Amino acid sequence: MSETSNAVDIAAVRERWVGVEFDWTTFTMDPEKMVAWAQACGESDARFIDRDHPDFQAHPSFTTHCMSARMLPEEFPEIGSGFGIDGGKSAEVHAPIRSGDVLTAVTTIADIFDKTGRSGTMIFIVQRMDFTNQKSELVSTVDWKMIKAA
Amino acid sequence: MTVSSYDEVELGDELPEERPDVSMDRVKLFCQAADHHFDRFTDHDKAREQGFAGAIVPGIMSQGMLAAMIHRWAPGSTIHKIDTVFRGTLIVDSELVVSGAVTDADDDTRVVEVDLTIVGEDGRAGVIGTAMVSFPS
Repeated sequence: MSETSNAVDIAAVRERWVGVEFDWTTFTMDPEKMVAWAQACGESDARFIDRDHPDFQAHPSFTTHCMSARMLPEEFPEIGSGFGIDGGKSAEVHAPIRSGDVLTAVTTIADIFDKTGRSGTMIFIVQRMDFTNQKSELVSTVDWKMIKAA
Repeated sequence: MTVSSYDEVELGDELPEERPDVSMDRVKLFCQAADHHFDRFTDHDKAREQGFAGAIVPGIMSQGMLAAMIHRWAPGSTIHKIDTVFRGTLIVDSELVVSGAVTDADDDTRVVEVDLTIVGEDGRAGVIGTAMVSFPS
């Protein structure tokens, strides 16, 4: 970790914001979109493209398209420069998501860190959305990495 | 070659390579399903105005294509986690190569780890990632 003020700032931001819930958004799982998504990804497994399949469910990364109302918490400080780039997403499946499920996503900042490489120092902000269904069962967790130049 | 159980998998096994459909029509279908209405995905000219070589394949679509490949390799399998890094852009209407290889297997949990790659026409890996997969038996 560098010894510039950025490193100190990131540590303070990390302590203040990691784990703080800042958005709560509800999404209803539309079976037509579930099928269309899977088909567009080239899926051939009937569990994801046949609404009449006894185990019909959303594709593993279907919840990655669900956006929180805010990317970052209100009053989150400006760190790094520019808007940032999309560094990638992970989707963890805890339980199948079924047609018509109503998911509530709670959004937090899961992590903030920096890395220095050939391109200089980059700041990583990981936004996490935890999705629970109408039975309050955790069904999916999506982590989204935003990358900004320090 | 497909696998149907954990016991059929060996470290180093390569998943059958695929060349997915990332035509403009297909990408538009995806964007409709995902409510992802950004012209950098569906308009080559608009994407070039934004600095891209052409319209780009949405990162989350590439993740879905990797999952589809896993399901074809291991019918009935369950993907517990799929994690992708978007290293570079993949261009709509181009030929992509999607591949994977088994890099770890846990005998206790009977879950395998698969390394994933999508290579663009320029030969560079636009997407890399990993997935954790379990089998019906």
